[in-house]
Amino acid sequence: MPKTPVDQIVAGPIEPGVKKKNPILVVDGVRRTFGGLTAVNVDHVEIPAGAVTALIGPNGAGKTTFFNLLTGFDKPNEGSWNFKGENLAGVPAFKVARRGMVRTFQLTKALSLMKVIDNMLLGATKQPGENMFRALFPFTWKQREADVEERAQSLLARFKLDAKKDDYAGSLSGGQRKLLEMARALMSDPDLVMLDEPMAGVNPALTQSLLHHILDLKEQGMTVLFVEHDMHVVQEIADWVIVMAEGKVVAEGPPSTVMSDPAVIDAYLGAHHDTDLGTISGQLEVAEEMESDLIRHEVEEEAAHDGK
Amino acid sequence: MTATSHPRSSPHRLRLLLAGLVAVFSVLFGFGGSAAWAASSAPIDPTTAQESLAVWLRQASDKAGIPDVSFSVKGSGFDATFTTDAEGRATVGLPGPGTYTVEIDGSTVPATAGAVPSASNPREIDVSATNQNVPVNFLAVAGDAGGAAATPAPATSASTPATGTDTGAGGGTTSGGSADTSDPATTTVDAAAGGTGFWGIAFSKLVTGLIFGLLLALAAIGASLIYGTTGLNNFAHGELVTFGGLVAFTAATLGAPGWLGILLAIVIGGAFGLVQDTFIWRPLRKRRVGLIPLMIVSIGLALSTRYIYVFFYGGDRLALPNDPSPFLVLGPVSLRFTDVMGAVVAAVVLVAVAFVLLKTKLGKATRAVSDNPSLAAASGINVDSVIRSVWIGSAALAGLAGVLVGYYQSLRWDTGSAILLLIFAAVTLGGLGSAFGALVGSIVLGVFMNLATLVIPENLKYAAALVVLIVILLFRPQGILGKRERIG
Amino acid sequence: MDFNFIWLSLGEIASPTTAAYALATIGLVVHFGFTGLLNFGQAGFMAVGGYAFAIATLKFDAPLPMAVLATILASALFALILGIPTLRLRADYLSIVTIAASEIIRLSVKTSELTDITGGATGLNGAAKTFNAINPFPKGNYGFGVLTYTADQLWVRVVGWTLVALACLVVFLLVRSPWGRVVKGIREDEDAVRSLGKNVFSYKMQALIFGGVLGGLAGMLFILPRSLQPDNYGTQLTFFLYTIMLLGGATTVFGPVIGSMIFWVTLSLSDGLLALGINSGILPITSVQQGPVRFIIVGVALALLVVFRPQGILGNKKEVFFSA
Repeated sequence: MPKTPVDQIVAGPIEPGVKKKNPILVVDGVRRTFGGLTAVNVDHVEIPAGAVTALIGPNGAGKTTFFNLLTGFDKPNEGSWNFKGENLAGVPAFKVARRGMVRTFQLTKALSLMKVIDNMLLGATKQPGENMFRALFPFTWKQREADVEERAQSLLARFKLDAKKDDYAGSLSGGQRKLLEMARALMSDPDLVMLDEPMAGVNPALTQSLLHHILDLKEQGMTVLFVEHDMHVVQEIADWVIVMAEGKVVAEGPPSTVMSDPAVIDAYLGAHHDTDLGTISGQLEVAEEMESDLIRHEVEEEAAHDGK
Repeated sequence: MTATSHPRSSPHRLRLLLAGLVAVFSVLFGFGGSAAWAASSAPIDPTTAQESLAVWLRQASDKAGIPDVSFSVKGSGFDATFTTDAEGRATVGLPGPGTYTVEIDGSTVPATAGAVPSASNPREIDVSATNQNVPVNFLAVAGDAGGAAATPAPATSASTPATGTDTGAGGGTTSGGSADTSDPATTTVDAAAGGTGFWGIAFSKLVTGLIFGLLLALAAIGASLIYGTTGLNNFAHGELVTFGGLVAFTAATLGAPGWLGILLAIVIGGAFGLVQDTFIWRPLRKRRVGLIPLMIVSIGLALSTRYIYVFFYGGDRLALPNDPSPFLVLGPVSLRFTDVMGAVVAAVVLVAVAFVLLKTKLGKATRAVSDNPSLAAASGINVDSVIRSVWIGSAALAGLAGVLVGYYQSLRWDTGSAILLLIFAAVTLGGLGSAFGALVGSIVLGVFMNLATLVIPENLKYAAALVVLIVILLFRPQGILGKRERIG
Repeated sequence: MDFNFIWLSLGEIASPTTAAYALATIGLVVHFGFTGLLNFGQAGFMAVGGYAFAIATLKFDAPLPMAVLATILASALFALILGIPTLRLRADYLSIVTIAASEIIRLSVKTSELTDITGGATGLNGAAKTFNAINPFPKGNYGFGVLTYTADQLWVRVVGWTLVALACLVVFLLVRSPWGRVVKGIREDEDAVRSLGKNVFSYKMQALIFGGVLGGLAGMLFILPRSLQPDNYGTQLTFFLYTIMLLGGATTVFGPVIGSMIFWVTLSLSDGLLALGINSGILPITSVQQGPVRFIIVGVALALLVVFRPQGILGNKKEVFFSA
């Protein structure tokens, strides 16, 4: 799958908040504070449709919080955002998902006490049997069940999980759970897939196949927005990169040039300009990030406590 | 000496055995038993009758059954006289459904027991088809014989075990009600005496509430520390409270002075905490048992411990020796010596606990573990030994609370479990896991509960406290002093 | 020596009390076992149902169908009132709120101010009149030996167990449906389910109401053979139901039925054996001390079950969501 050329993406000079030719998601003035600490403060950003966009940034830049806000899992203090032209501010998480914007989580949320196939079926939409009264009359939902099961089978086959169909999801490896979570999200035929650190905790051997799957989504016409740390990964698959630091969007651009943006280098490294951004990334940084998330959470709590 | 308050002669014991035998089978049958009969109509065997009454006559003050009192049951052409058994009970078989009049023969009630108020005697009881053991409970009030003014509600909480068999004769010890604080604390505060009106009453309630809040705080701080360090909502905390009271009671029956009883309650209570941690909670932590199962274990532990207390101490109120004369008079409020001492001891201990938590190495370690156990462990704190100390300290505090509540209100097998939800409410009010929050929460709750009775019925004050608990959880789940935390 | 108690204990298998406990526990399984809602106030639902039925029958002279409807509506309303504010909170908050709410119910109905409606501390008596009036069994005795029942006793048993069977059927259908899949997902990780476009709050509410209505109907069933007494609805009733649930299997449909039967037979047998031991002088305890023993057994059983066999008799260990 070739990369989408930059001139097909942007409708203006490359700078933070640049207008896109065909944006699927437009964010305006979204701000979220925890006590006295501002976690997210995004003035304006647009996500191009039909492309793979990476959201990067140093530890504590507010990437996951931004994800949570956009998908309705957290509420901003202020701000609005449009998805396919519809305002999503104040829309609860489940409705966001129904409108075609699905997400995965940094710490995989495969339902480990359910079978793999049941995990998949849970992702299906328009199942009348999920209504409590119709559930009592199997003839009203058996047909739909058969249809979605077929779809689940083919998705599982694509993600090479079909042999594990009847295993409990808890028995899968970390990478397989990531794949399952991604496959499950696809059950609803989304327009925008938001992946929170899809490579975190994945065996390096599986990384290539995951990358391949992400590019596959684009090929099928979906838009992908993903949080990632590994710059090599970003360079390999992203059409567009958005860089966050301290809650703000500090840079945007195609992966080939954004890495040399002084604002990015500042954000990541402070004074150590000469280090190759690619080499300091990877698993080590993921571990650091997880560690620092704990610390950041504590800082937020402290700030909230003092702020009263 | 057994824990039951009335001594039994050997004929009594024989009768009791017989009554017990019948009671046992009545449990099995789901039918009533244990009647002594002497009748004008032929008595009907209650174990085979379709309808029956379970009459129970007790002393209002200590809920002790009054034996050998005769009463009549009339209605539907039936007219018979019966006598209460050693527990003050009798089960009466009826010829069929209908309305029956039950009347206690006042002349057979012993003078020492007082009299059954005329407002509730005789009583009319509707019995519908297949209703067995319809409760007919009477309370005799000492002193003012038959005076309607002092009439308590004719029936009380401790009438039936919540066991679901069709009977109330499960041995006479198993109250279904766990939440009846049934405190006579109001008797310690002679509210209306000076005729001081609303403000006088309000002041006396404030004092009552303040003292109760201090006692509650002793128990709540421990529960809060346990929650903070282990994450456990300890449903067996009430039993730690009762334990202290029972230790002091046992010491008193052996002739020990009051201060020694209190000391023993603290020491043996603390030892009880150590035993629990060593044999139950630490092994469960080692097994990495989750918080919900832990909570359920604590429920099971509470249930069995509570009834082990009943097993050894009986189901009646236990009296700690107390001098009822006023010791301190503050305007309309007169307090007994034990009320004042209880408050003083509680306050001193609470200050000491605060000192330990703030200034000592152990206290700092405890707070560190509460904040973040893995970080604490990483910085060289022995988490397990901190938790053990917390169990010992919390159990000792709860034990002390038990004695003091026993002196202040009353002591029974369910004294602690009756205030368990109040402990939870205080902990939640102050902020889950925050020891100082628990202190503030307890005092606020104690005062609120008692002041609330200015506008709501006295017996709803406990419910009012629970309403506060719910409201706090809904609108400020972090409590008054708790850390803000992301929820939902 | 009289060994009739063995037969009588076996009679507990079919007793209406066993059926009522089974029904209430099925409700609890819907709450806790399948949806993960830590409801510690099932006794409150039983009280609400029982009082609604008794008050409708005795104070408003409602015909049986109306009284049953009142039972269902009242328990559904109770669930709604509890659920709207609390289902968004953490699981352990729900447990505290439900236990407190059930105690508030019990303490409130007991107050003397409400005696005209609720009967105060004495409770209400004779709520079964409309129920027994439609008893199709002719008067007489049914059964054999010590297990002989009157027509009314037979009637309540038949209706009780029919209710239990119906509840089992409905729950069986539900948990095997896509609806059941969603709630099982919720009990494990509600954010995951939310991210897949399911209205988690609505599902939790549906489960709370459904299980609560089963609890309310159990409360009605419970008072048909006896009078309604507020203190039967203390917190330990809920804990008995938890014991039954964990005994049979918290994530199973038929566990509550098996659990309730074993629970009551065991209690009856142990009572009988204790009585035998006491009367023959083998056990050095008094008959007064015999009463608490059953509670001690229940408490120990509850603690041991949840640690050592959390899946219960019928459950699948792989589905035990609450042990980690």
